[in-house]
Amino acid sequence: MAARLRGRPAHAPGPTYLSYTPNGKKLITVGVNGALRVFQHGSDNEPAIIDVLTDGHTAVASTNDFIVVGAEDGSVTKYSLLTNSMEEILVRCSLPVRDVSLSKDGEWVAVASDELAVKVVNTRDMTRIMHLRDQSRPVKHVSFDVSGSTLAVSCTDGIVYMYSLSSEQPQLIKRVDGLIKTLETDAEANAKVAWHPDGRAFAAPTATRDFQCVARSDWQRQKAFSGGHRADISAAAWSPNGALLATAGVDKSLCIWETRSQRLLKSYDDVQNTILAIDWHPTDNVCSYTNNNGELFIREDFVPGEHAKHLRIALQPSPMNNDPLSEISGNARKQLSNGDKPNGVRRSAEDQYLDDLLGPDAMSEDEMDFIEDDDGAGYAEEMNHVGKRSAVTDAGRPAKRHAPFAAWKPQIHEAFQPGSTPWRGDRRYLCLNMTGFVWTVNQDTHHTVTVEFHDRQEHRDFHFTDPYKYDKASLNEKGTLFSCRPSTQTQQRAILYYRPHETWTTRTDWRTQLPAGEEVTSMSLSESCIVATTSKGYVRIYSLFGLPLKVYRQKSMPAVTCASWRDYVMTVGNGPVDGDGTTRMLYTVDNVRRDELCQSEDVVALREGTELRNIFFSDKGDPCIYDTEGVLLILLHWRTPGQAKWVPLLDTKTMDRLASGRKDETYWPVAVANNKFHCIILKGGDVYPHFPRPLLVDFDFKIPVSSFPAGGVEDEDKDVAQQRNLEEQYVRASLQHALASDLVDSTNSTSAQRAEVPVLERDVDKALLQLLAAECREGEERGMKALEIASLMRDRTGKMLEAAGKIAARFQRDILGEKITQLAERRLVGLVDEEDM
Amino acid sequence: MAPPLPPGLTPSEVGFLCEMEHVTVIPRQTLDGLELLGGPTGALKPPFPTPLPLWLALLLKKQRRANITPPPWLSVEALTQILDFETDERTAELFSPSPNLPPATTSAPLGDAATARAQADALPYHWLEIGHLLITHAADDFDDLDAVRKLLRDLREVRMSKLRKGFEVLDAGGGVKMNGVGGMEIAEVRGFVGGVVDGLRRLNRSREESRKERETEERENGLGSSSYRDDEDEDML
Repeated sequence: MAARLRGRPAHAPGPTYLSYTPNGKKLITVGVNGALRVFQHGSDNEPAIIDVLTDGHTAVASTNDFIVVGAEDGSVTKYSLLTNSMEEILVRCSLPVRDVSLSKDGEWVAVASDELAVKVVNTRDMTRIMHLRDQSRPVKHVSFDVSGSTLAVSCTDGIVYMYSLSSEQPQLIKRVDGLIKTLETDAEANAKVAWHPDGRAFAAPTATRDFQCVARSDWQRQKAFSGGHRADISAAAWSPNGALLATAGVDKSLCIWETRSQRLLKSYDDVQNTILAIDWHPTDNVCSYTNNNGELFIREDFVPGEHAKHLRIALQPSPMNNDPLSEISGNARKQLSNGDKPNGVRRSAEDQYLDDLLGPDAMSEDEMDFIEDDDGAGYAEEMNHVGKRSAVTDAGRPAKRHAPFAAWKPQIHEAFQPGSTPWRGDRRYLCLNMTGFVWTVNQDTHHTVTVEFHDRQEHRDFHFTDPYKYDKASLNEKGTLFSCRPSTQTQQRAILYYRPHETWTTRTDWRTQLPAGEEVTSMSLSESCIVATTSKGYVRIYSLFGLPLKVYRQKSMPAVTCASWRDYVMTVGNGPVDGDGTTRMLYTVDNVRRDELCQSEDVVALREGTELRNIFFSDKGDPCIYDTEGVLLILLHWRTPGQAKWVPLLDTKTMDRLASGRKDETYWPVAVANNKFHCIILKGGDVYPHFPRPLLVDFDFKIPVSSFPAGGVEDEDKDVAQQRNLEEQYVRASLQHALASDLVDSTNSTSAQRAEVPVLERDVDKALLQLLAAECREGEERGMKALEIASLMRDRTGKMLEAAGKIAARFQRDILGEKITQLAERRLVGLVDEEDM
Repeated sequence: MAPPLPPGLTPSEVGFLCEMEHVTVIPRQTLDGLELLGGPTGALKPPFPTPLPLWLALLLKKQRRANITPPPWLSVEALTQILDFETDERTAELFSPSPNLPPATTSAPLGDAATARAQADALPYHWLEIGHLLITHAADDFDDLDAVRKLLRDLREVRMSKLRKGFEVLDAGGGVKMNGVGGMEIAEVRGFVGGVVDGLRRLNRSREESRKERETEERENGLGSSSYRDDEDEDML
C-alpha cells in the first residue's frame, strides 16, 4: 500500500460526512465545527476551507459546481465550489436536518429532517418546493435514484417510502415494509437506500445486518450481501460501475463485496472509529470515508490488487435473482458485435472475462479518453452503435465510457421464440397459445415446468422438475416440445425433448441431442413435424417420433424465428441490410412433405423501427404477424410463389375502446381464430404478460380503411360512420373470400371448407348491396358510383344483380335500374365485364 | 295456507329473473350446444369466450368447468367513474343513466347487458343482482375483488339514499323520477314506498270518509242545509 493509513483530522471530533464531486476532482467534508473542507483529489496539500456560520453539519451532497449542506439548526445551504463561498439558504426546517440528496442533474435536493414531511427543493429556484407527507414519523434518509425520478425515503418507522417525482405532484408509489430497521433519527446505524448504478435495483441495510437488494420493477427482494457485519451497518456505497460494494458497520468493520457473486472480497480490521459515510472516487481505485471522530480517511488502492480489475469493467447489472442474462434466455440472444448490447446496459459475462484478460485497452473504460469529460457537460457521453445515447447508462453514472472506434455493424433482429416472455421475478412463460400455456419457475439449481391447458377435460395439466433448464417450449393439441441450451460446464449439448399428450401405447417421449456447439434459436411444433432453427444456420426438421427428416441451411441468417402449421414451415431470418442500418427480415414458407417452396425469401413487411412481436398461423392456416406498432397482418395468396402480400387485419391503435384516450393499454398477441384476434391486454406500460395469468380477450377484425369519427352523435356523422362501416365490411369480406378460395383451390379441402366459399361470396355481395342502397338513398347524381358497385358483384347467377335492380327501383332510380339490368343481361350471355374496363 | 304475496315482484323473484341475463364464459372443457327453453346456447370450446345464461354459467363455474369474464362495467375503473357521477354535486339529483338501448331487433330478447361486450360506463337494469352473484360465486375471476365489492356497496348506498331522499317529498300526488334505477332497487324499496303511499292514502281516507259521513248524516238530518249554506258563504268570502 502506497500510503500508511493515516486519518486526516478534518473537523472537530464528532460526526463527519463527505461527498465526492461527480467528476472526482474534489472531496468535501463537513463536521461539527463551523467550516467545510474541500480537498483536491490526488493532492496532499491543505484543503480549502469554507468558513460558515452554521455548525453541527449532518449531511452534504455535491455536484461539480456546488454543494448542499444540511445542519442541525435546520438550514440547508448551497455553497459554490467555484468561488468556495456561500450562495444561498435553500430551505429552513424547524428541526435538525438529517440527510440531503441531490438528483443526478443537480436540479432538485431532497431534505430529510426531524419534521414529518420531506422537502424537495429546486436548487436554482428555492421557491419551487415539493412536500412529501405520507410518512408518519420523522425521516432519517433520502436517496434519489439514478434517473432522479424516484426518491427513496427511509423513515424511522421502518418503512421505505418510494415517491415518483416525475410529475408535478409527487406520488407515493410504494411502501417497502420490513426492509429496514426502525431507528432513531440521530442513530449511528444507517437505513439509507443505496440505488445500484444500473437503476434496476436498490439496496438497504436490514435489521439482520445484511445488505438486501430489492428490484425496482416489482419490489421483490433479490440477492443479499450477508454475513459481513456483527453490528448494524452504518454506511454503504456501490462502486461507480456497480461491480463492488463497500459497507461499514457500527462495530468498526469495513468490507468490500463483489456484486456478481455477493462474495466478501476483503474485510478491513484497521478501523478505529465508526464510519459514518463512504464514497468511492468516480474513476480511481480510491475510496474515502469519514468517522464519528472528525477524521477523514482517503484510502488509495482501496480494492486489493487482485480484485482491482472489477473497477475497470463496464457497468454491472444489479444482483437480481433471475436476470434475463444472455446465458439463460433465448429472448436476449447474445449479440457478438462490438461494444454494448442494444439496450446499452449489460454486457455478457464472456465480455467481462475478455476484458479481464486483455487488461485496460480500448474496450475498457479508463483508457483512450481522448475527451476528458471534466465538467460533466456530457459532450463526451457514450454513443452506442445505433447512434443514440443510451439513457440508462448515462443516467447511471458519470460519463466515462467512450465508444471505441470500430467498424460499423448492421443491427440484426434478435432471435425469439414465438409466444414466450422473458424472466420476470423468478418465472416466465415459455409458451402461451390457444391450447394452453407452459411456464417455468427458477429454483436456482433447477427449474420447475408447469403445462396447463385451457381444455382441462381433454388434457391433464402436468408439472415436472427440470434439471436441464429448458428455455423454449412449444405446445399444441398433440404434445409439448422443449429445448434447452448447451452448457459449457457440464458438457451438456442442446437437447430437443418432445412429450406427446396421449398415446395408445406407453408414452413415447424422446430426447435428441444437437451436434456440439449448436443451439436452438427458435423452434416450432405442428401436427405433423417439428422444426428447429439453430445457431449454425440450419433448419432441422424432425417427425413427431424424433426421426430427422431434413436438414438444410437457411438462406437468410441468423435465424429470427419460425412457425409451422401441418406441413407448412415458415422460417424468418435476417436478410440484407436496409437503409436504416437494420437488416430486413425475410421469410420462407416451405411445404416439407411435398418439398415445395411456397414463398422464397420474401420480405416480412415491417415499417422502419418496428419489430416483430409474434408470428403464428391462424386457425385456418394462414401466416399472421403482429408488430410492435400493434398492427396484425395476414399473408394473402401465399401458396402461389411470388404472389404473397401482407394485408392488415386490425390496427389495435385505432380500436374504439382506445378512442376516448383514457385507456393506456397494449396487446400481447396470442392467436387468430374464429375470425377474431385473441390477445392479452397489457396495462401500465407492460410489454409482456406476467403472473397471475390474465384472461384472453378477443377483438373483431377491422381493416384500417378509414378512420372513424369518434363518438359521432349527429345523424350526418352516423350516416358517414355507417357508410365507412360498410366499406370496411366489403374489404374484409373480400379478403376472407380470397383467403378461403385460396385454401380450397390449393389443398385437399374438406366439404365444410368448400361450402364456406359461396357463403363468403354472398357476404361480399351483401355488403355491396348495402353500399348500393346507401348510394341510391343519397340521390340520382350518385348513380355512376352505384353502377360501379353493382358491377363489382361476385355472384354469377344474376340473383344479386336482380336484387340490386330491385333496390334501384325502390328508390325510383330508373336509369340506374336500366343500366343494372343491362349489366345483368351482358353477364348472362357471357360477356365478362373485364372486357369493358 | 300460504300467506298472500305482496303485490309486485319480490327481491327473490327479481334475483331469479336476473339469472336469465347472458354473461361471457371462458369454458374449461368442451360442451356441445344445448337446446334450452330460453334459446339455444353456443357450443363451448376452450378457450373461446361464449355467452351463456347466468344460471348456466354459475352452474358450470361451481363445477369448475368454466370461468366467467366479469362484464366491463364491473371493473374498478368503470365503477369508480359511475360512483363519481353519482356523487358529483352537479348530477346529485340524477341516477347514472342506464345503458343505451340496443338497435331494434326482433330476435334476441336478452341483450348484452352483462357479457364482455356490455357498455362499460352504465349500470344495466340487473346490476346489483349480477354484481352480487358474480362476486359471491366467481370471486376468483376478479382482478381486484375487494375494491369491486367496496365500490358496489358504495354505489348501492349512494343510490339508496337518493331514493330515500326522493321519498321525503312523497305525498298523495307527489312523484319521484326513477330513471336508471335497477330492478333490485325497485324491489327493495317497493315495500317501503308501498307502505308510505298506502299509509298516506289511509290517513287521507279517514279525513275524507269522516267528511263523507258527516255529509250523509247532515243530509239525513235535513237540518244541515242552512249550516251547509253558511259554510258555502264562508267559502265564498
